[in-house]
Amino acid sequence: MKLAFNLTKIDSSEDNKLHYGRKKMKGDTKLFKKGIGILVVVLVIALALAGCSKETTGFKVGMVTDAGTIDDKSFNQGTWEGVLRAAEELKLETKYLKPSGTTEADYIKEISNLYDAGFKFIVTPGFKFETAIFQAQDKYPDAKFVLIDGYPHSGDYAPVVKENTVSIFFAEHESGFLAAVATALQLKEGEVGFIGGMEIPAVQKFNWGFQQGIKYANENLGTNITIKAENVIYQGSFDNVAAGQQLAAQMFDKGVKAIFCAAGGVGVGAINEAKSRAKTGEEVWIVGVDVDQYAEGIYEGDKSIIITSAMKYIDQVSYDMIKAEYEGKFPGGETLVFDAKNNGVGIPAKNPNLSDEVQAKVADVFKKLQTGEIKVSDQQGSLIK
Amino acid sequence: MPLVAGVLGLLAGAVLMAATGNNPFQGYAYLFRGGLMNIERIGNSLATATPLIFTGLSVAFAFKTGLFNIGAAGQMLIGGMCATAVGLTFMWPKPLLLTVMIIAAIIGGAAWGIVPGLLKAKFNVHEVVATIMMNWIAYWTVYYVVPAYFKGTYLETESRRIPYAASLKVSWLTDMFNGSYINLGFFLAIIAVVVIAFILERTTLGYELKAVGYNRHAAEYAGIRANRNIVLSMMIAGALAGLGGAAFYVGYASNIQIGVLPSQGYDGIAVSLLGTNSPWGVFGAAIFFGLLHSGKGFMNAMTKIPPEIADTIIATIIYFSATSILIERNWDKLRKRMGGAK
Repeated sequence: MKLAFNLTKIDSSEDNKLHYGRKKMKGDTKLFKKGIGILVVVLVIALALAGCSKETTGFKVGMVTDAGTIDDKSFNQGTWEGVLRAAEELKLETKYLKPSGTTEADYIKEISNLYDAGFKFIVTPGFKFETAIFQAQDKYPDAKFVLIDGYPHSGDYAPVVKENTVSIFFAEHESGFLAAVATALQLKEGEVGFIGGMEIPAVQKFNWGFQQGIKYANENLGTNITIKAENVIYQGSFDNVAAGQQLAAQMFDKGVKAIFCAAGGVGVGAINEAKSRAKTGEEVWIVGVDVDQYAEGIYEGDKSIIITSAMKYIDQVSYDMIKAEYEGKFPGGETLVFDAKNNGVGIPAKNPNLSDEVQAKVADVFKKLQTGEIKVSDQQGSLIK
Repeated sequence: MPLVAGVLGLLAGAVLMAATGNNPFQGYAYLFRGGLMNIERIGNSLATATPLIFTGLSVAFAFKTGLFNIGAAGQMLIGGMCATAVGLTFMWPKPLLLTVMIIAAIIGGAAWGIVPGLLKAKFNVHEVVATIMMNWIAYWTVYYVVPAYFKGTYLETESRRIPYAASLKVSWLTDMFNGSYINLGFFLAIIAVVVIAFILERTTLGYELKAVGYNRHAAEYAGIRANRNIVLSMMIAGALAGLGGAAFYVGYASNIQIGVLPSQGYDGIAVSLLGTNSPWGVFGAAIFFGLLHSGKGFMNAMTKIPPEIADTIIATIIYFSATSILIERNWDKLRKRMGGAK
């Protein structure tokens, strides 16, 4: 408020001088000249500096981030870690760019920037890139695109995957299923909940898979876990940490023992809440998402409130695609699905909060998913939300 | 004076680049090449600047009446939502549809501006508080309306794509700028600048608005109805930001997303300050900022500057640029002191 007051005051005092009498008209043209003046200076600087460019050739890998930062402990970070791993192994140059907004125009601008700078192998994580890649694959036929969690389309959802693009999907429902089975087996009885970010396909599939996993464990593995409709919530964003903390607090107060968070920053809030409760001796758990979030949940020594994580091996996928391109085997034009069968999803290899017995049983279930003995639906059906 | 501020901003950015171990000359070379290298990039810079011209004008206009409009973001959202709603509902020929959409955006934005104006005039509620609250009402209104009535086939988080007939993008302009995102919004912005400059400098209304801004009590004493002018000023400011919403959501972007308050709303404050609250100043400042925003990515791609530092550099430039009024004031003091010494 003070700021506002000052600004307006300064403003009116400087304008007073321009205002009285004939000076008014002069002021008008003067201000016009100022506007043009700014432009002229900009142009002069631009021309003076333009002309010094360096062209590099070779295989350079670029990435455009989705909404959120590169260290989001999730999608962007997973993709980028895979890129870095491949780059180190194959001695490649890498670069990631962060768009200034989340519109198609913002995404295409960054793709153009990478392309013009010689980064012609471009990885884009997130369904929001779908229409941008649809245009980019035509605009830059000599570039290669990896689109994770989406397929290119013109806005009408009819997939058009060109020869220079590969579209990648994960079976989130299988990942959620496994995490649910692991959680159910470890807790044996009690209530669990789910916090989602926005109601988008990937998050919904995590949720539906999770519910099916709980049901499977109750019916086949002798657990008694309940999940109430009131405890299945989509917060509506991926960055509202405070809301995540509140939602988690409400659920824990109602007696929920474990919450599956597929919600980016909202999940971070839930993890914080669980950590502070665990410190006071309460038994609460969070099921992590996308990557192994064990380290995020450490509250004391090496004790973590992350019971396990529903993982998508995003880093592996971006690594594989770069390697494939390096070896000249880029699967252009294809739509690949990563699921239990090709080890694209699962729970972490090490789960300090799960007993060996539980882990053995989960491994068993994982094998059944691989052989197709257990099938997890990626549709809502009769499930909650 | 804005020139000094702009140069100061660029210098501050250069210091930051040097401090992070990068060559500032090279950095700026790539920054400006990124925004101006070819006709497509020039078009994109102008397209990025377009919403900023509107929000800058909106803030500047309210400033003239002594009001601080922080609500440009919300007014933009509502304007964009109204334009989107019309565009996705009716199947009219393009000229007619666009006209109605633009009017809808103006009405939506004006409605969002008039509320804080009335609150200020009737109950003396500070417009900063009221406009910030209106931002969140707009945010959640869009959050409800878009998924409920205009959502796409699969996604709950954004509206259907705006069809060509309802887009401010026109093929002759897109082709002229080699597939850039420049759209009719830019011409609307120029018209808005001319109209606002005219209102402020050549009409009784403009005179009254400014008089209320300089000294509300003196204006009232002179027979100007201050309250009426406060409401009018906020309404026009809102309408300008609403137009910016149309330029952004049905021009630059191709749909409206929920859960995002457009950053252009707040950038409008900096644009207005750098432009010393004058319409043409705002125009120049907005294009300068548009250039920075759109050249940033190329600078990133060509140098070792990480995106986070690049954002900081741009923010530093904007921050220092926005001090132009401060510089001007001190400049005058300095001159007076030197004059006094003579």
